[in-house]
Amino acid sequence: MAQSRSQDQTDHLGRQRWRTVDIVVASVLGVTFGLLFAVWNNLIYTTVSGPLDGTPTGPLVAGVWLLPAVVGGLVIRKAGAALYTEVVAATLSIFFGSVWGLSVFMSGVWQGLGAELVFALLLYRRWGLGAAVLAGGGAGVAMGVYEIIVSVPQYSADWKLVYVLCAIATGLVVAGVLGHLLVRALARTGVLASFASGRTQSEI
Amino acid sequence: MTLLQTHISADPAAPLARRNPVAKIGAALLPLLALLVSVDPVTSTLLLAAALASVPAWGLRWRGLVRRLWPLGLAVAMVALGNAVFTDRKGGETLLDLGPLLVTTESLAAGAVAGLRVAAIALPGVLAVLTIDPVDLADALVQQLRVPPRFAYGSLAAFRLAPLTAAEWEVLGRSRRARGLGGDRNPFAAASVLAGRLFALLVGAVRRGTQLAAAMDARGFDSTAQRTSARRQAFARADAALVAGSVALTAAAVTLAVVTGAWNPVLG
Repeated sequence: MAQSRSQDQTDHLGRQRWRTVDIVVASVLGVTFGLLFAVWNNLIYTTVSGPLDGTPTGPLVAGVWLLPAVVGGLVIRKAGAALYTEVVAATLSIFFGSVWGLSVFMSGVWQGLGAELVFALLLYRRWGLGAAVLAGGGAGVAMGVYEIIVSVPQYSADWKLVYVLCAIATGLVVAGVLGHLLVRALARTGVLASFASGRTQSEI
Repeated sequence: MTLLQTHISADPAAPLARRNPVAKIGAALLPLLALLVSVDPVTSTLLLAAALASVPAWGLRWRGLVRRLWPLGLAVAMVALGNAVFTDRKGGETLLDLGPLLVTTESLAAGAVAGLRVAAIALPGVLAVLTIDPVDLADALVQQLRVPPRFAYGSLAAFRLAPLTAAEWEVLGRSRRARGLGGDRNPFAAASVLAGRLFALLVGAVRRGTQLAAAMDARGFDSTAQRTSARRQAFARADAALVAGSVALTAAAVTLAVVTGAWNPVLG
């Protein structure tokens, strides 16, 4: 009995220990999204989302920043994957010319923690659409709260609420739904064969 | 549409550029943390001025910096404007009144403080990171901060794939163009082609990452044996002095703000 319990524990630990492929693929996902951020910074940010930056609806176009947390968590399915992927993506975008410097790193940490907390509350056992949407929402809450401290500290309380709600909406839809669809599409191509996320969704 | 890899020329022998990456990041992170706590003109102005004054010490040239950072100027202006419009501090003289769009002298001042603060939050980190090489950073993270080496070097390996991935982005675009895709004037058609190109990039990246992981495992990357470092990152007295200087500067700015009564906690 005791032996079987310790067997269970080692199994559980074994499932949670990061293999090399977990680390490298999470990093590669982070780097690829970081490159997407770089494109966003250099093209879309300066034309679309930069001018929206100070308005309460600014966060609506910011959901793309939250994607790595959701996608990383869903693909790797390990404790810390959402946080790690988001932080790698944020760090790469700093090195590739984000003008926000280490503030982007802080954003990455908070947004990653927002998604990570949701996966943790689901005990790292739920990886479907519901979990993805909630994780996206969690990242959205984190982004909204951090941004009202950094970007719009002078807003009136009502407008701050609008700002956070916009951030949550984009987290639920862009990061959550889009992230879920993205991981499902990735699984269909077969590249996720080394991961549980790539094996459960095989289609005929 | 290219993935811009804006390189900026910095003098690697400049006094601050030579410092340990962990020291640079620590020194840049401290003012940021202090600025997050309070929204006031005194700390923001002092710390922004200090960051601007330190530019030559990082070995950076003003021209390159301005060319690199103009979007920050735009964003700072928009943040200032947004805060001026959506604040509830509408005392003072009315400057602009278009129904819900009301700007007064007091709200403009509030917006200006928010803009100044955001600039002060961003600048020190930009300066530090512009002079950091990712390889040095990974070494310093492992040797000074005891970050688990598998994660530090695993992410460094992925960082090294970034130029390859950027090149692949070009190839994917050209191959799509050769098949008559892309180059649309209709933004929706362009967005759909772009989404396909991004997805292909992601699939290729994951595939390459999986292969890379297998190759790294074959060379014992997963081994639990004691690791040694080929490259040493020293944390010298000058590095400690940089961090101490940042602590002193931040403390001075905060003290001055409190003494002048400008200190204004963001959650207060």
